[in-house]
Amino acid sequence: MFLILKYIAKLLKALASEASPNQLAGGFILGMIIGLTPVMSFHNLIILVLVLILKVNVGMVILAFLVFSGIAYLADPLFHDFGTYLLELEGMQSTYISMYDNEFWAITKFYNTVVIGSLTTAIILCVPMFPLTKVGVVQYRKHIHEKVMKTKLMKTLKGTKVYSIYQTAARLRG
Amino acid sequence: MRIFRIQGIIAVVVITILSFLISWISIDPIVEERLEYSASVANGALVEIDDFEISLVDLKIRWSRLQVANPENTMENSFETGEAELDFLFWPTLWERVIIEDVIFKEFRMDTERETDGYFEIPEEEKNKEPGFLTKVISDVTSEVSRNANMEFNNIKSDINVDSVLAKLDLQAPEKIDSLRNGLEQNYQKWDSTLTNTDINKEIASVQSTIQKINVKEIKDPKKAIEAIQNVQKLAKQVDSLRNRANQIKSEFQEDFGDTKFSIGRIDNWIEGDYQRAMNMAKLPRLDAQNIAQSLFGENMLADYAGYMEYLAIAREYSSRLAGDDKEKIERYEGIDYEFTDKYDWPKLWIQNIDVSGETKTAIKLAGQIAHISSDQKKTKEPITFNLSGSDDASRKMSLTGEINYLGEEPVESFNFTYDGFSLAGTKLSPSELLPYPMEQGVGEVSASVQIVDKRIDSEINYSAKNLAFNFDAVPSDDRIQQLIKDAVSSTDRIDVTALVDNVDGPLKVRIRSNIDDLFVNALKNTVSKEVDRARQRIEAEVRKEVEGRKEDIIAFKEQKEAEIRKEYEQLEARIQQELQKVEEKKAELEKKKKELEDSLKNKIKDKIGIDWE
Repeated sequence: MFLILKYIAKLLKALASEASPNQLAGGFILGMIIGLTPVMSFHNLIILVLVLILKVNVGMVILAFLVFSGIAYLADPLFHDFGTYLLELEGMQSTYISMYDNEFWAITKFYNTVVIGSLTTAIILCVPMFPLTKVGVVQYRKHIHEKVMKTKLMKTLKGTKVYSIYQTAARLRG
Repeated sequence: MRIFRIQGIIAVVVITILSFLISWISIDPIVEERLEYSASVANGALVEIDDFEISLVDLKIRWSRLQVANPENTMENSFETGEAELDFLFWPTLWERVIIEDVIFKEFRMDTERETDGYFEIPEEEKNKEPGFLTKVISDVTSEVSRNANMEFNNIKSDINVDSVLAKLDLQAPEKIDSLRNGLEQNYQKWDSTLTNTDINKEIASVQSTIQKINVKEIKDPKKAIEAIQNVQKLAKQVDSLRNRANQIKSEFQEDFGDTKFSIGRIDNWIEGDYQRAMNMAKLPRLDAQNIAQSLFGENMLADYAGYMEYLAIAREYSSRLAGDDKEKIERYEGIDYEFTDKYDWPKLWIQNIDVSGETKTAIKLAGQIAHISSDQKKTKEPITFNLSGSDDASRKMSLTGEINYLGEEPVESFNFTYDGFSLAGTKLSPSELLPYPMEQGVGEVSASVQIVDKRIDSEINYSAKNLAFNFDAVPSDDRIQQLIKDAVSSTDRIDVTALVDNVDGPLKVRIRSNIDDLFVNALKNTVSKEVDRARQRIEAEVRKEVEGRKEDIIAFKEQKEAEIRKEYEQLEARIQQELQKVEEKKAELEKKKKELEDSLKNKIKDKIGIDWE
């Protein structure tokens, strides 16, 4: 509970002014990739390492992961169809065969319809989602943040003991 | 470096090092525990591995000792090995597959004693549900062993005492026949009472009385005549119903006595049963070559056979437990895996080669290979094969070869075992008292072959004893039969026995033949077989004498009672028929009267008004 609140608070703070839109957008697309694709995949281990070593907003990663996991649950049949289409492309067969024969590529499970379908979709979505998130963050700061902070939910959240402990700890850490 | 998080990089490095260290420290006991558990479940008794170690650097698994407890005797190991080393492939482990290229088992030993009890409580959910096919074969062969052990030749060496057998025998047929007679008697009484007390008789009397009361001459009016005709028609229907009820009684009676519980035919089976029990008590052997061989060598040969089959059953059980786990489970929305080549089409477990060396309990040094143990032969495209052989300084040789092949439509398993060069001096060839003499010298050879195709088994054990010399002085006897047997076996220095066990043409058959069967049969034929035949005939005659009179008596009783019941029924049927005839006659009489009255009425009207109505 404390951890979730911590990241919600961090996210709100970052959205307000602390983090750059690039960090937020980077966190958003990385969380989106993890959320849209099967979690226990080799590429998600790489994404997780990227989340740790790159200066992206972790709260945004978690938010995007939660949102896109729900979307992926509904979209898996579509990913399967898309993956089937990709894996059956005539011109790609020799590439797939050489990739399949290479153990490193094979452990990515690219030959699974849902893995390749969802990962390709996620990568394609990164292209518009990264600038769109950046614009969204700027617009949020300009028009929405104040309103969000005045909502009953945020007031209730701010009133909780856990939140005040977190704020105190954050101040002490500087 | 602005886009990188230093703490993050440090965290990744620390996590990686920690994961490596934790797995390095804890992987050995975890894998050891899992292996021991799974192997113990498969074995049905404890499997213990000492000093288990996995080396991820050179991809090897080692242990210092492996003990596989015998489920039938948990204070003993089925086998154990000393140091062993396995080479496994790295990449398949990422696909949760274990491919072991080479295993070396040193100091392989069978039937060793354990320091601790190897009992293992198999969890309920892991228990095997139904006994395998070979378990059934072993059970059938074991019962054949006990049958052979029971076939005694004591009686034929002395006078066969039929009176003693008959005195001990409690004949069951007479009692059953008496019980059948009582049952029949009660049933006949029931049917006699049914026919005597039936309402049909009363109703016939009532119909009879009603018919008699109708006096046709007294009817003067056509209307009265019509009423009387209608009454008679009702009576006709009543009589018809009586006839149906009588028929019903007849068919129920016939059904009751057609029932098997009153079938006289069963008496013969009871007599036959008593005769067979008398024969079993007398233990009279059939003196043909087949029975002689079974009696001489059956117990030993079939006990050995059951022993070999138990080992095969274990091998088969392990193979079947390994197989069948590889069905891919595709859950909804997990997608489908495309297989572009067959490179990763590995079975869950594949041990490509095992080099075994060790010695048997009888100190024969064995060495050989077991190849391609796998959970799915269709994926390895290789059957399990094994080839072990060895010898000792005393020229004893042993070899075991075989193949477990599940590649075709039907599973095929074949095994061949040979053991030769062992000394027979001081041993007895047979536990039978027909051949009680120990050997002064001799060399033995055993070979066994088993071929199992699905659930059809075809197997053969050959036993040869060569350069034989019996020590007849060890069991001195003046018995006439023993003398004949001595003469017969001293004329040969070699005995060959063959046991055939198969179910190729139907139920399991066990046949044993040897080259001395005919010698024995000839020796016994002119003396003992006549005695045995006489005893057999006497027993049969005595049993039949006890029950024969009863059988005829009950047949006569049944026929007599049936005739009586039939007569009663026929009388009833005749009465009904008679009544029906009377009713019909009365009806015709009334019809005639009605016509007369109508004609008379018409004439009167014609006379009065002068009009002819016709």
